[in-house]
Amino acid sequence: MTNEIRVDPKVIAEFIKLNANIFEAPNFAKSLEEVDLETTPYEVVYSEGKVRLLHFVPQVQRQLKTPLVIAYALVNRFHILDIHPRKSWVRNLLNQGIDVYLIDWGTPTQINRHEGFDDYVNGYMDNCVDYVLNESQSKRVSLQGYCTGGTLSTVYAALHTNKVQTLTLTAPIIDGRRDSTVVSNLAKHLDVDKLIDTLGNMPPEMMYYVFSILKPFEQGFEKYLNFFRNIHDKDYVDNFLRVEKWVSDTPPIPGELYRQWIKDVYQENLLINNNMYVAGKQVSLKNITMPLLTQVAVGDHLVSPECSMPIHYAVSSEDKTLKIYPTGHVGMIASSFSQKKVLPEFAQWLAQRS
Amino acid sequence: MSTPDEKKLLTGFKHNSLFWTDLLYLMSNRQQSIAATGPFRKFAINVKNISTETIEMNEDLAEFNKRLGTYYKQLSDTWNEAQGEYTRKVPELPNDVEHIEASKRIWIDIFENYFTRLFDSVEFAENFGKLVTSELEIAKHWNNITSTLLESANMPTKKEMDEVYKELHSLRKRVAKLEKIANKEVQENDK
Repeated sequence: MTNEIRVDPKVIAEFIKLNANIFEAPNFAKSLEEVDLETTPYEVVYSEGKVRLLHFVPQVQRQLKTPLVIAYALVNRFHILDIHPRKSWVRNLLNQGIDVYLIDWGTPTQINRHEGFDDYVNGYMDNCVDYVLNESQSKRVSLQGYCTGGTLSTVYAALHTNKVQTLTLTAPIIDGRRDSTVVSNLAKHLDVDKLIDTLGNMPPEMMYYVFSILKPFEQGFEKYLNFFRNIHDKDYVDNFLRVEKWVSDTPPIPGELYRQWIKDVYQENLLINNNMYVAGKQVSLKNITMPLLTQVAVGDHLVSPECSMPIHYAVSSEDKTLKIYPTGHVGMIASSFSQKKVLPEFAQWLAQRS
Repeated sequence: MSTPDEKKLLTGFKHNSLFWTDLLYLMSNRQQSIAATGPFRKFAINVKNISTETIEMNEDLAEFNKRLGTYYKQLSDTWNEAQGEYTRKVPELPNDVEHIEASKRIWIDIFENYFTRLFDSVEFAENFGKLVTSELEIAKHWNNITSTLLESANMPTKKEMDEVYKELHSLRKRVAKLEKIANKEVQENDK
C-alpha cells in the first residue's frame, strides 16, 4: 500500500507566488513610520493642553454659512476621517462647500488622568465651539460626533443647546444596556474603579486587546494574507498601510472620563435614562431640540445599532432623521460607500438646515 | 476565589513569612543602624515594606493564576470545538486551489463564529473581568514596591506625583473659570 498525496500543481504555484510576495514585500510597501496619514491640509487654530482644534483649508467656495465642528472619538486618532484622499470624510465635506473644524483629542498622559466629562464637554469642546463662533461670526455651529465623540456631542448638545444649530450623531454610544457587542460585554464586567485607581488612565494595550477579539481570524489572518497577495497593487497596499497605522495608534483615555463613560453609559445606563450628571448638572436628552441626524450601520460590531438608535426617540427635536446604512463602523465614515451614499446625504441634510 | 484549603495554606505561609520578616527586622535593626548611615539608612528601614508587599502579592498571584488558567481553558476549549466542527464539515484535505480557498473560508467562518460566541458570553466576560482585577491587585503591590524604592532614593512617588496632577487639574479649572469671568467683564465694559 502506498500513501500518495496528490496536490494540484496550481496549489504549489500559488504557494511559491505567495512566498515570493512575502519576500519582496519590503520593496513595495513603506514602513508604518513612513506612512503619512494627513492628506487634507489644515491649520491648528486653537489648542489647549493636548487638545487641538483643526480648521481644514477650504477646497471650494463656502456654500453653507454655519460651520461644522466634528468631535472625533476618544478611541484612536482622528486620521480615519481623512485616511485617504478618495475616502476622506473631511475632504468630501469641504468639496461640498462646508466649513470643517475638527477636535483632535491628542494623546493624553498621566497628567490628564483627572480629566472627566466636565473637562471634555464644558471645557475643551465648549472652548473650541466658542472659538469657531467667534471666528466665523456665526450664532451657532453644526455639531457632528463619531462613536464616543457622539456620546460627548450628545452631552454637549443637552447642556449647551443655544450653541448648536444641528446635531449629527454617527454611531454614537447611547444606550449601553442594548449594546450587544463584545466591547459592551467586557465593559459591563469590568471593575473600572480598580482599573483607574491603579493605572490612572485606560491604557492603550487594553484598548487594543478589545479590538483584537473583534473578528480575530478575519482581521488577524485573512487580512494579512490578502495584503501579501496584493503586494503589487499600489493602491491596495497604500490603503492597507494607512488603516493599519491608524489602528495601531491607540492613545490612552483619561481615567476619570473613562470611569464615568463605562459606569454611566455601559454599566448603569444613566445617559439614556436622563440620569447622568456632568459638573452637577443633569444631562436631559429632552433638552435636545435642534434638528438631529442619527447615522447607524447595520454591520457595526463596535457599537450596535440598537445602542445608537434610542437617541432618535429620546430627544425633543421635531426635525429628526434616522439613517441606517448597510455597512460597518469604519465603513460608514471611510469607504467608497460613505463617499457615494453617506456623505452626499449628510451634506444635503446639513444644507437644508444651515 | 481560592478553596478553603488553599486559603488556609496561603494564610499560614503569609503569617510565617511576616513573622520572620518582622523578627529578622527587629533583630538586625540595631546592627543596621550602626552599619547603614545617611540616606542608605532609609532604604534599610523601608526594606521591610518590600518583603511585606512581596508576601502579600503571593495571595493575589494564586487568584491570578486561577483566572488565567480558566481564560486559557476557555480559549482552548473553543478552539477544539471549532476545529471539531471544521473537521466534520471538511472531512478531506482539499488539494486544488478552489477547494483550498473554499475550505479556508469555511475555517475562518467557523472559528469566527465560535470565538465571537465565547467573547459574547457572560462566563467569558466575568472571568476576564476578574482576571483583570487580580492583575491590577498585583500591579498595586508592584506600585507600592516601586514607591518604597523611590522614597528610599528621596524621589517623588506615584502617589505624590498624582497629588501634583490633581492640584494642577484643579488649578487649571479655577484659572479657566476666572478667565471666563474676566473676559465677560471686559466685554461688558467695552459695551
